Amino acid sequence: MIDFTLTEEQEMFRKAAQEFAETQVAPKVPEMEETGKVSLELVKAMAEAEMMALTIPEEYGGLGLGYTARLIALEEISKVSVAAGMMLQVFALGIEPILKYGTDAQKKKFLPGLATGERLASTAVTEATGGSDPTGIRSTYKKDGEDYILNGRKCFITNAHIADTITVLAKDDENPKAFSTFIMEKGMDGFKATHEENKVGMRGCNTGELAYENCRVPKENLVGVEGKGLGVALAAIGDVGRGGMVGCALGLQAACLDVSVKFANERILYGKPISRLQTIQNKLADMKIDLEAGRLLGYRAASMQDKGERSSNEFAVAKYFSTEAAQRAAKMASDIHGGYGCMEEYAVSRYMRDSFVLGPSAGTSDIMKVIIARWTLS
Amino acid sequence: MEKSCGPVWVIAEQIDCRILSVSFQLIGHGRKLAAALDTTVEAILLGHQMAEHPRQLFAAGGDRVYLGNDPELAVYQPEIYAEIIEKLAKEKQPEIILIGSTSMGRELAPLIAARLDTGLTAHCIDLVIDGNNVLESRIPAYGGLLSIICPDRRPQMATIAAGVFPNPEPDGNRTGDIIPIEVPKEIPQRIQTLKVVREEPEGMDLESATIVVAGGAGAGDPAGWRKIADLAQVLNAALGATRPTVDEGWAALETMIGQSGKMVSPELYIGVGLSGELQHMVGISGAKVMVAINNDAKSPVFEQVDYGIVDDCREFVPVFIEKIKAYREKLKTC
Amino acid sequence: MFKIVVCVKAVPDPKEACNIKIDPVTKTLMRCDVPMVLNPLDKYALEAALQFKEQFDAHISVLSMGPPEAGNIVKECLALGADQGFLLSDRAFAGADAFATAYTLAKGIEKIGPFDVVFCGMASSDGSTEWVGPEIATFLKIPVVTRITEIVEYNGQWWTVKAELENGYRLVRVQIPAVFTVTRALNTPRRLSFSGIIKARKKEITQWGIQQLGVSEASVGLKGSPSIVSTIATMDSRRKVEILEGKREEKAEQLVQRLANAGVL
Repeated sequence: MIDFTLTEEQEMFRKAAQEFAETQVAPKVPEMEETGKVSLELVKAMAEAEMMALTIPEEYGGLGLGYTARLIALEEISKVSVAAGMMLQVFALGIEPILKYGTDAQKKKFLPGLATGERLASTAVTEATGGSDPTGIRSTYKKDGEDYILNGRKCFITNAHIADTITVLAKDDENPKAFSTFIMEKGMDGFKATHEENKVGMRGCNTGELAYENCRVPKENLVGVEGKGLGVALAAIGDVGRGGMVGCALGLQAACLDVSVKFANERILYGKPISRLQTIQNKLADMKIDLEAGRLLGYRAASMQDKGERSSNEFAVAKYFSTEAAQRAAKMASDIHGGYGCMEEYAVSRYMRDSFVLGPSAGTSDIMKVIIARWTLS
Repeated sequence: MEKSCGPVWVIAEQIDCRILSVSFQLIGHGRKLAAALDTTVEAILLGHQMAEHPRQLFAAGGDRVYLGNDPELAVYQPEIYAEIIEKLAKEKQPEIILIGSTSMGRELAPLIAARLDTGLTAHCIDLVIDGNNVLESRIPAYGGLLSIICPDRRPQMATIAAGVFPNPEPDGNRTGDIIPIEVPKEIPQRIQTLKVVREEPEGMDLESATIVVAGGAGAGDPAGWRKIADLAQVLNAALGATRPTVDEGWAALETMIGQSGKMVSPELYIGVGLSGELQHMVGISGAKVMVAINNDAKSPVFEQVDYGIVDDCREFVPVFIEKIKAYREKLKTC
Repeated sequence: MFKIVVCVKAVPDPKEACNIKIDPVTKTLMRCDVPMVLNPLDKYALEAALQFKEQFDAHISVLSMGPPEAGNIVKECLALGADQGFLLSDRAFAGADAFATAYTLAKGIEKIGPFDVVFCGMASSDGSTEWVGPEIATFLKIPVVTRITEIVEYNGQWWTVKAELENGYRLVRVQIPAVFTVTRALNTPRRLSFSGIIKARKKEITQWGIQQLGVSEASVGLKGSPSIVSTIATMDSRRKVEILEGKREEKAEQLVQRLANAGVL
């Protein structure tokens, strides 16, 4: 029989993440909702709580804990703030290409700072002409002596304005079939974050555009083999990106269920709490089933990833299921709250808005279906 | 008088030469226990300049007072106090020792119990003698009542909060023996109380208030707590607290009601933003009319009150205050 | 090196403790799967030790008595920064009252070896007697200060502490080795950290039963407890509650009316 229980140590990680979320993240949520801006205090607190170090090996100043621990942390943080979870998930997404494909010199140079949170990471693939289909991007690179010259723009990039180290996918100026991934750094000449988005949900998690005009990137910043960059970017997104979204979605599902149970026990109709009404119970049961199923899918994939197995297909299933389930959960939570669900004072209104941002992040549900179908047919 | 067993002892406590009311209450109840056991009630009183005080203990029902009257004993000194009482108990073999559940009592009682190799119960809300002449301590826990006994060892010991038993009617005609206690010279001085600082309590006295408003964690923050304090003020009520609000620093420790705090018996009790945890509720079981305001309809508090308001207390209380004021206005004009 | 022992207890999670009820028929406790956690006040005791260690260097042993599962909370203390864990676990320890618990813990402290200070939480959230700290001190024949709110001075063998008192405090000078029971006013406990949890992998928890501890079965657990629960009764503190309904204004109005009619307003 398969053991589905978390180890004693993993339970302790959950407790640590929960305490962090409740004491450090929760107080920042109102401000993040109000301004839509990243709370730098929160970033600092995350760094102090070693949240950026989870997936980085100990030899580079990280904790070397792997992906189940990361999923646990993301779930607990997202339970309190999906925006905070998303920000954290994308830090790891930016770190992953260096971890997986970086040279020893690159790892030594970048990972220690990324582990302590002194430097913040992101990854940039999506452009106006392609995200779900990365081959549609128009950013280019061109060899110039020992360096590369990059030109182009990226959009919908999480952490665009706060990241110091961004892995960027670009296409060979002369060969439309060759892609490469580069580490771009804040402060490089011609490289800047431009437009900042104002999102309906996940407020307080920064999303924006990057522009690079004749930006000179030294060859030391090329990740992996020149021309094979598509694999570098997609490998990161396939496991770490989707896995991160599963964490965000599970947290939101759990939050929706928690507030619904609480409200249903408090709200009196016909002289008794509405939790005694079958129609409400039906919704609570649906949310519970979705949460249990989502967790099984997500943690299964994460444990495969920890074993070094390919897990992007399993994560595609988990990502599809849990982000869709989070949207259903937010809708049901809102229904259970009735009129209160439309009021900003109640967290469900935020959950509703956040749930809609989960879908398109790291690949829409439709793209997940394409991937899952391809897996099924192969 | 032929006694069938050792006496019932009460460790009396004094602060600045004033004997605490709980000590009299324990003597009063000790009389009942002594009657059931056909024995006497004796008090141990340690302090300085206390020569006249045993009279009060006799009036409350004591038959004998062991008086330690010495500058060394002016304030509570754990090692000396414990040593004196241990020696005396080993010699006099009391059947029962009762101690007030004060900060001194809560430290001194276990020191004595461990020295005498015997059991000790806390948070008793009643003490009775059972069919085997054994002291039964009744203690609320988990929504029920535990009876705890110490069947084989003596003395049987218990701590009891102020207000659990009534103040006895003093009888000025009663007298008794005063037995002086010497301060032993060879006690290790490993611990010394350097200073005792006490401040005047703020607000209305909880134990004598006719209306008590108690606030819980549902207040949410200091602003929410102020609303509850406002309600108390409008009602001319004493403001009580639960453990979590004391921990948050909104309320002073002295205002805590319940098992490890005060026992109150007001005409009207209003519990605001609290869940009805037993530790708190045992402190107000003597209230006549009880009201709870809490946003969780399933909260156990709603099984323990007469009127329930399911609502966010921070929203409800200001509205309630306005209605009370309006009612008072109407009374004036009629 | 300066040696500190911190005594901790696994208790039913206080947030869910109201789910523990007495079965009205069998008169036994229905635990309803309430998880066991580190007694909240014990975190303050551990924090006191950790802060001392940060300032002066010390070795911190954590000691608990309980079933093997209580090893979890000892592990948590190691993750929070304690150096070594000890769990007193034996069927014979079950059913101990405060006296037998304190006796067993005192035996455990003696077996751990020489020590300078013992920190305990003021009380456990389930028993809440406050007896264990002072009784440990008595068995170890050392002084105790309960309910401490501040450590004013560490001066070699003499520590000066403030302890909580009704409407005030007492200032106490005490010679160590000594036992201190701590209140929440003493400090702010740190949170678990991921790296702390990783470091705890290498820290040991030693488990001792009655044999290793060298105590007789008659002196521990239920057999060694002077006090026993003789009966459990369900207490009917219930009142027939009337839940007032309607809009907020209406509820407030009704409440004023009810209280006026009852003559208590």
